Amino acid sequence: MSRKLSTVLPLLAAGLVTTFVMAGCAGGGAAVAPAADATRVEGGTIVYGHQQEPACVFGGWIEQAYLSSQVLDGLVSLDENHEVVPWLADSWSVSPDQLTWTFTLKNGVSFTDGTPVNAEAIAYNFDYWLGGGNSTAKVWLEGYYSSASAIDAQTVQINLSQPYPRLVDNLTQGYFGIQSQQALTSRTKEENCESPVGSGAFVVDTWNRGEDILLKRNEAYTSPPANAKHSGVAYVDAIDWKFVADPTTRAASLTSGETDAIYDVPAIEWKNLEAAGYQLEKFITPGRPQQLSFNTVSGPFADEKVRQAFAYSLDRKALVETIGQGVIPYEGNGGVSQSTPGYSQAAADAYSYDPKKASALLDAAGWKPGADGYRQKDGTTLSVVLPYGAGSIINADGASILQGVQEQAKAAGFQVKLVPVPQSAFFAGEYSTPEERDIAAGYWTAVTSGILWINWRANTTETPNYNNSAFYNDPELEALITAANNTVDVDAQNALYGQAQEYIADHALSIGLYDRLSTLAVSPSLKDVWQENAQGGPIFYDAYFVK
Amino acid sequence: MTTLEVTSLTSSPLPIKRLPLSLILSVVAIVFFLVALIWPAALATHDPSALNLADALHAPSFGYWFGTDEAGRDLYSRVIFGARESLFIGLGATVVSLSLALILGSLAALSGRFVSGTVNRVVEVLFAFPTLLLALLLVALMGPSALTLVLAVGVGTAPGYARIIRGQILTAKGSGYVEAAVALGHSRSKILRQHIFPNAVRPLVAIMTLSVGQSIVWASSLSFLGLGVAPPSSEWGALLDAGRLYLTQAWWLTVIPGLVIVIVALAATTVGKHIQAALEKGEK
Amino acid sequence: MTPTSSSSPAALIPEAQFAEAQLPGISPTARRSLVIRRIVGKLAGAAIVLWGAATAAFLAQAALPGDRATVILNIRAGQAILRTPEELAQINEQYGLHQPLIAQYFEYIRGLLVGNLGLSYQQYKPVTAVIADQILPTITLTLTAIALAWLILILWVTLTAGRGPRVSALGSIVDTTAAGLPHYWLGIILLLVFSVNLGWFPVISGSNPAGLFLPALTLAIPLAGFMGQATRTEFERALTQPFVISARMRGMGDWGIRVRHVLRHSSLPAVTLTGWALGATISGAVVVETVFSRAGIGKVLVGAVNAQDMPVVTGIVVLIAALYVIANLVVDLAYSLIDPRLTSS
Repeated sequence: MSRKLSTVLPLLAAGLVTTFVMAGCAGGGAAVAPAADATRVEGGTIVYGHQQEPACVFGGWIEQAYLSSQVLDGLVSLDENHEVVPWLADSWSVSPDQLTWTFTLKNGVSFTDGTPVNAEAIAYNFDYWLGGGNSTAKVWLEGYYSSASAIDAQTVQINLSQPYPRLVDNLTQGYFGIQSQQALTSRTKEENCESPVGSGAFVVDTWNRGEDILLKRNEAYTSPPANAKHSGVAYVDAIDWKFVADPTTRAASLTSGETDAIYDVPAIEWKNLEAAGYQLEKFITPGRPQQLSFNTVSGPFADEKVRQAFAYSLDRKALVETIGQGVIPYEGNGGVSQSTPGYSQAAADAYSYDPKKASALLDAAGWKPGADGYRQKDGTTLSVVLPYGAGSIINADGASILQGVQEQAKAAGFQVKLVPVPQSAFFAGEYSTPEERDIAAGYWTAVTSGILWINWRANTTETPNYNNSAFYNDPELEALITAANNTVDVDAQNALYGQAQEYIADHALSIGLYDRLSTLAVSPSLKDVWQENAQGGPIFYDAYFVK
Repeated sequence: MTTLEVTSLTSSPLPIKRLPLSLILSVVAIVFFLVALIWPAALATHDPSALNLADALHAPSFGYWFGTDEAGRDLYSRVIFGARESLFIGLGATVVSLSLALILGSLAALSGRFVSGTVNRVVEVLFAFPTLLLALLLVALMGPSALTLVLAVGVGTAPGYARIIRGQILTAKGSGYVEAAVALGHSRSKILRQHIFPNAVRPLVAIMTLSVGQSIVWASSLSFLGLGVAPPSSEWGALLDAGRLYLTQAWWLTVIPGLVIVIVALAATTVGKHIQAALEKGEK
Repeated sequence: MTPTSSSSPAALIPEAQFAEAQLPGISPTARRSLVIRRIVGKLAGAAIVLWGAATAAFLAQAALPGDRATVILNIRAGQAILRTPEELAQINEQYGLHQPLIAQYFEYIRGLLVGNLGLSYQQYKPVTAVIADQILPTITLTLTAIALAWLILILWVTLTAGRGPRVSALGSIVDTTAAGLPHYWLGIILLLVFSVNLGWFPVISGSNPAGLFLPALTLAIPLAGFMGQATRTEFERALTQPFVISARMRGMGDWGIRVRHVLRHSSLPAVTLTGWALGATISGAVVVETVFSRAGIGKVLVGAVNAQDMPVVTGIVVLIAALYVIANLVVDLAYSLIDPRLTSS
């Protein structure tokens, strides 16, 4: 009896736990929907669950751009039709030679430290970014920007060294948030890191590291962007910007009512939340999608046929749609994502699952079927290394998709070695040379197809470009992109960018996998939360509670 | 009531001869996973890495005993194939840990004041240095792999065992029969060989089985924090980590690998305790 | 103690505590100087442990791959690329990274001595401030967990130990199972059942008191199981001791004996393990902080290692080592308070 009891008990306990857990899955929190005649209530605090805590409010990460755009206003904003609209700048113009941009500022706007938002401050911010204040802003301006100066209190002039027709489009990103010159020059780095002073709808009140940042309403706010839904101060009193790293916990916090909105909704929770009445928003970030670019200078992928064979060996669409639960969109284009102006559908459709073609191409390239299922040539196995920034650049869904890629390529005879690279090693530059990797995985958000310039400009000793992840130096491709960058007419420019994408596809330099998403789930009692159109960050300025 | 209590206590709590069911079940579990370690294909029902996109996130059923993951891979077969890496980490870490502990423990107990003092301090420092940080640093240095986990867990758990071994040797050293042997003029090496080491090492068998279970748990914790073995390996901690995203919709991906880890750790511990009890009984 | 009572956690107990028991019949002055010598020895030992941990952390960090200035810039930017010499020079100058390693080491040790742990590369603020922000939640969590573990331990062991083979076996199986439960798994299950499903506790623990229970319980259950294994053996042994039998003869009730005599006697190994656990729960805390979305030193540590924020990493190591040292001094003290043999001598 005793022996039976002692063995049965743990099993019993296990069974009990399982039942509890299963029961937990059955119940899904139905949102408490407000009545049909619910009206707006004044004030309130939005509790928002975000996934990652940055080191500083303002910086070069997209997570920082989301956060800092609550606090800092930009010069210009992007509307839903992808048109650049006024924000701190009322109007702007460019000289016929495309080298001088002039911005006229809104009148009577002040930073929250009381100093005016004037031309001098704007000019100072440009130099501040280029001097290391924001490394991502710097990447966008470097090579084009030469100087900024105040013409008068309300007019600022930006001088370029070469034409940059899409300058204002790029300035809509959160990396270009304007800060008080006085705050930047007179306060410590720590203060500017934790509570940058801008003219935005909210100000940083307190930052409880590891937990949340409390953003209080700017009671003197006068400068919303032209595409905002109202003017004056924000409707809510404050935002409690919480850091909740675990996706499941984030979703659960929304259904339990602990948060009013969450970022990065797990694909698996999408349908249930939608069915329960939550508002779900999905923004496909423009720019480089999650893609695989091949090492074109050494290893098996130096041979174009092998790159094409790899592309044909994958059923990327089925893989992404299954693992992404129909939420994460498949992206065939390796150059830019489908939400980017100038996107080429032809480039996206270049390769579909075709094992016969893959096999024929590998045969033609001299890789013969080997004993263990992997192809071989002159005694070497068709083995490729695919490192990825685990947990930083590639999230859990992404890691799952990469394992699918590995498995699908195996059927064609590729041995794909997946190497999850820890963040510290990844940012220390491991796996950054042609000797170390055959495939690079990653994305880069942008507003225009100008991202192609960053990712594909030749990497030379005089002008190094370490972002050229395929190590592909080609005058023809670079000429296309440069010509596009310098073209003023948007349609003509996009046609050139399209050609560049098709060139990338034809030579199988990079293939797309899926689009990077910015997703939001919002409680039905919170209205008018929207995603800004440059990077998909949540905008709470127009948001209000209903009851 | 009181007398009853006393008499019941004087009898040995668990006689070894009647093999208890818990021991039998533990041995069965261990044998099962040892088979999985040596010849996984014999137990698996599917190819552990084969995608079956049409059957993604299937609950446990007759076709898929433990259900399937987000890419339709069979969880049962993944658990079976993951046994090799998980047990390798458990056993490997135990070997590293106990070897290190044996060296440090004997040095601390048997060498001169200076060496033993230094070794004691090293053990103290190791104790004060969090195992997790050790693992983080090793992963940053060597990349995430089974070997990294073996080293991290092995080195991290060594100081505890080193202390036990040192205590063991010190007790043996101070015991009557060693004093007698010294009085009889036996050589130092003979005393070490015949009296001290056998007494100090014998309990290691029991400690070892306990440690295997603990090491698997430890290693899976590191995998859970994303410091584990590279995919598509189905090391148990990695399985659990991957399943966490689907917790509310596919409980089996989290619950089953966790139960497997607990069962193996429990089985190893149960066997270890019985070995220990048998040893103590033999001593008496 | 027989030579083979091996894995009895008593073996974990430092020998100094036994040494103290062997001090009968010494003159008061000799005794006082001995005590002073011991205190000085303990402090010196503590200093050595701190120095050792600090040095080990420094060396480990120095061995990390990549150029530190590159990593600092890349992490600030979120890009994994090479950097130009001008960019690097500025960072190297700012943090003294251009100096030889040995100079950096002495600078670091000098800073430690005056309580200056340096500036965080990513947060631009003193490491002491970074730690001060995060230490309280972790200490609260750890102490609550230990208190809960003791509560569970005392209730469970007193209830089940030495109650005949059936109950004993049950108690012991539960101990073993509890001790083997992985923190992360237990945490996830508790969160799913009690927060998500039943809604008894908040999903995001944050820093509110209601959110403290589940994280602490997650740490406490395995710890209670672990201490229980050690305590149960001692408890059952103590129940057969002559003083228990004589107490029974004096007519003392079973519960009285268990709580007043046996428990006190058998809690020694658990006290020792508590000191050890204080250090070990830091590792567990990282997992728990992640699962329950709590602030704390564990999460900061992981973030700092990932970001190669070396001053923060080394600062936390020194802090943990210091906590460990203090905990063990406290355990020493508790030990001499509880052990009747030590107080009577």
